[in-house]
Amino acid sequence: MTTTLGELTASSRRLALVGLAKNTGKTVALTVLLRELESQGRTVGVTSVGRDGEQRDVIDSRIEKPRVRLAAGSLVATTDGLLRASAVEHELLEEPGIRTPLGRVLIARLRAPGTIEIAGPSAAGDVRGVSYAMLSHGADRVLIDGAVDRRAASSPDVSDGLVVATGAVLDRDLEQVVAQTRDAIELVRLPTVENDFATALADELIELPPRFALAAEPEQIALLLREHPEARWLPLAGALPERFLEALVQPLRGLRRELTVIVADPTHAFLARHPPAWYSRQGVHLRTRERIRLQALTVNPVAPQSHRFDSVRLRSLLEEALPGVPIFDVLDSGYAGARPPAIHTATEAE
Amino acid sequence: MRELDLTAVKPYADHLDDGLVQLSFTLPVPYSLAARRAALELAAKMGYEEPEVVHYEGITDGYTYFVMYGRCSQTVDFSILQGEGFDIEYMSEDEVEHFAATHLGRRIVVVGASTGSDTHSVGIDAMLNLKGYHGHHGLEGYRCFETYNLGSQVPNSVLLAKAIEVAADAILVSQTVTQQNLHVRNLTELVEMVEAEGVRGQMILACGGPRVTGELAKELGYDAGFSKGTEPQHLATFIVRELAARTAAPA
Repeated sequence: MTTTLGELTASSRRLALVGLAKNTGKTVALTVLLRELESQGRTVGVTSVGRDGEQRDVIDSRIEKPRVRLAAGSLVATTDGLLRASAVEHELLEEPGIRTPLGRVLIARLRAPGTIEIAGPSAAGDVRGVSYAMLSHGADRVLIDGAVDRRAASSPDVSDGLVVATGAVLDRDLEQVVAQTRDAIELVRLPTVENDFATALADELIELPPRFALAAEPEQIALLLREHPEARWLPLAGALPERFLEALVQPLRGLRRELTVIVADPTHAFLARHPPAWYSRQGVHLRTRERIRLQALTVNPVAPQSHRFDSVRLRSLLEEALPGVPIFDVLDSGYAGARPPAIHTATEAE
Repeated sequence: MRELDLTAVKPYADHLDDGLVQLSFTLPVPYSLAARRAALELAAKMGYEEPEVVHYEGITDGYTYFVMYGRCSQTVDFSILQGEGFDIEYMSEDEVEHFAATHLGRRIVVVGASTGSDTHSVGIDAMLNLKGYHGHHGLEGYRCFETYNLGSQVPNSVLLAKAIEVAADAILVSQTVTQQNLHVRNLTELVEMVEAEGVRGQMILACGGPRVTGELAKELGYDAGFSKGTEPQHLATFIVRELAARTAAPA
């Protein structure tokens, strides 16, 4: 494969990077993208829903994290304290009035290249706000880095494209890593709802009372299905918790019916026990109103302080499981794009 | 007299910058001279200069307890940590009541629970229940708060449903965070469900637990994190100040 992350994601003005867990190599992918965009002369704006470029992992301090180095002219949304601590010369552009546990968020333009910790707004609405602000201040591209396994920034409301990071850290068993990644990507790639939903008749639809999907007990859910004998569609405005989905399975089987549950986009569905295909086999189909544009999957074959897999093998198994998804290990010698900075020397940068 | 240099702060014992640290620990080895040597070697490996055993004793068969001194050669830059947002001047219960009456003028609704598989409700009880913690009332005892403590092992979706039902101003969750992804996932799931329900802008999200720091809270997507040593009025101070700031400048 000769393409790079930078080329592949060129159509996304706002690109979200989401990890399936901590230490799946999200920040390494970010540093590679930054270098590739810099070499193309692009002006980049960067924010993080968590914190990026910190020296050590917040939960396991034995794990060293990659630092984030930005080119002169880059835009950044981070806290006042982290901006000051970076000692990089900058111009203050906006103070959007957002507070985080690490301080107030500022939007700045760097006057010099430098290493900086990035902690922008956490809430999706605020992320959307600072992304637009950085675009309006001249960024060609905005990169939104995720944190832990948080997906909200990949909603089509917030970003135009998505890069997912997966890695050995998911499980000690290679097959399990592949299976869990496949399930997570299946969720990201949920199909949009079929056209005949738009012309559905009233008795083919179930309209839920407020908070029903969040708190209903299985008996209430079974009763709801009996009360709507013709229903084929169940549109949801908010979150779809797995316990609600699971409670649909038994009564639907008893009634020999199938049902399509529709969420706004994949970030509204919360599945941990079974993938969408499993529910489909039980007669509960998942659809979205809007889809997420998944542009690439990055793979970290190393689980810090634990185990590692052969990168080529892991990628070929993933390619088999996920046809059509471009898969990269940006640290592999075969990767065509920029080389990321080595972690142990990056701390001496500046 | 030496001047205090805030960019290079180190421990203080007898005089500024002596770096002297007292540490205590137990080694699972029998009380002996070899045990003493092991402790000295360990302290040296920890980076202490001039380590010294000032007291040691066998505490039971096969275990030796040590009290040691050593000089710490490391420093921290305090100047960049100041004013980073985690410096809050806490108010007393009366001051919180007065602040809430002046700046908010209504009751503040707080919903709390220990979520997921966590069976420990002691943290949430200490913050919310009347009895409180360390001689300080929990939020239930304040006139300005209306509290709902849902207990332990509460699913995220059930906690969120309650919070929406009572139009909560703040959700408080407690969770013991370990290096297992499971606990972290449960904390991020709540944040993401709040987003999916479209109410993130209307609710303050705070998490607490023995290992929760501001940095961890930021990564998990919470507005604040509270750890060991937090007293109810600390939480109360944060909530009323944050609500007042949001009311003054809606995002």
